Amino acid sequence: MNEERIEQLFAKADEAAGEPTFRCITTAGIRRQVHRRRLVRVAAPTCIAAVVAIAATWLAISMHTARPQPQRIVSLEEQVKQLQARTDATLKLVQELLERDRQDRRLAALETELASIPDPLQEIDRQVDKTAFILVYQADKLYKELNQTESAVAAYKEVIQLFPTNQWANVARERLSEIEQRRINKSDGQKGEPKWEPRNT
Amino acid sequence: MAAMAKVTEELALVERFRRGDDSAFEEIVEQHAAEVAALANRLLGWPGDVDDVVQEVFVAAFLGLKKFRGESSLRTWLFTITINKCRSYRFRRLRRLRSVAIEEAAALESRDRSGEKAVLDQEALARARRAIRVLPQKYREIVVLRYLQGLEVSEICELLGITDNATQVRLNRARKRLKEQLGDLLEE
Repeated sequence: MNEERIEQLFAKADEAAGEPTFRCITTAGIRRQVHRRRLVRVAAPTCIAAVVAIAATWLAISMHTARPQPQRIVSLEEQVKQLQARTDATLKLVQELLERDRQDRRLAALETELASIPDPLQEIDRQVDKTAFILVYQADKLYKELNQTESAVAAYKEVIQLFPTNQWANVARERLSEIEQRRINKSDGQKGEPKWEPRNT
Repeated sequence: MAAMAKVTEELALVERFRRGDDSAFEEIVEQHAAEVAALANRLLGWPGDVDDVVQEVFVAAFLGLKKFRGESSLRTWLFTITINKCRSYRFRRLRRLRSVAIEEAAALESRDRSGEKAVLDQEALARARRAIRVLPQKYREIVVLRYLQGLEVSEICELLGITDNATQVRLNRARKRLKEQLGDLLEE
């Protein structure tokens, strides 16, 4: 395989393929093509940018002005009403519970207060007992310290008269019997005072 | 001296073009259009119509001529542009060219049965063109420039921007591939 043979074969092949065809090239034509290419180079991105901007604007406007359908509005209003009713019911229930709780707490406070108040009958008994004791005590003072036996006897009798069922009435009776016993002893000539201690209340 | 005169003449043309003389560009077109078209035709596999590529080459030349510094001849400069444009053009139309190659191969197969001498010659030449066409780009360009354009190795180096050694290597490999396909034709 020599160079000449290759050259010959390829030259023949090239010749057999024929001459290439192309249009006449003029400066004006070239300038037109250059101008067209520049125009395309500038216009294409500009057009794309404009289309994108218009599309974005249209989309923004359409989204901004989009209104919901009437059926949807009715449905939403219905839902709002239902929610409102449910809220009102819940609120009412909460208010009732709060009121009941407040009443329970008030009742508990009143019961506590009532429990702290003493029984009036017991109080009267206590006051009666105390009065009877004071009278007996005064009578004892008259009898033991002041030696006013008659006054003491009157006081004991008063206790028995005023509080016949009280314990101090019994004490007063004991004192009276004691005084009576002393008087008898005195009159009999026997001496000896009995030791006496007032009952401690 | 003749080469020097030619370079001077080309630089004068370029200078006239720079100053706005359109006729200078038309002279350049007139001088080189046929060669550019022939090169494009060979690089693209002999499609016949190379108008698009030639137009692209001269549009690129028109836009770049003001920057032409005269470091190479206008012919070499235009050939460089042509090679680049053919590469991109071929890349764009690869699929179409492949289908054309398949159709042509099918046509060749059908012609094999005719047996006439003239037809056989045409078939051999078509086989030769097809062998060049199916070569890889780097080998095809070397073969076209060397055997069809008749350029020297130094010019090919300048055009393709490769070293002398690389050019020789590519040329040898291209020959080897061609021998594999066209061995019977080259040994006659």
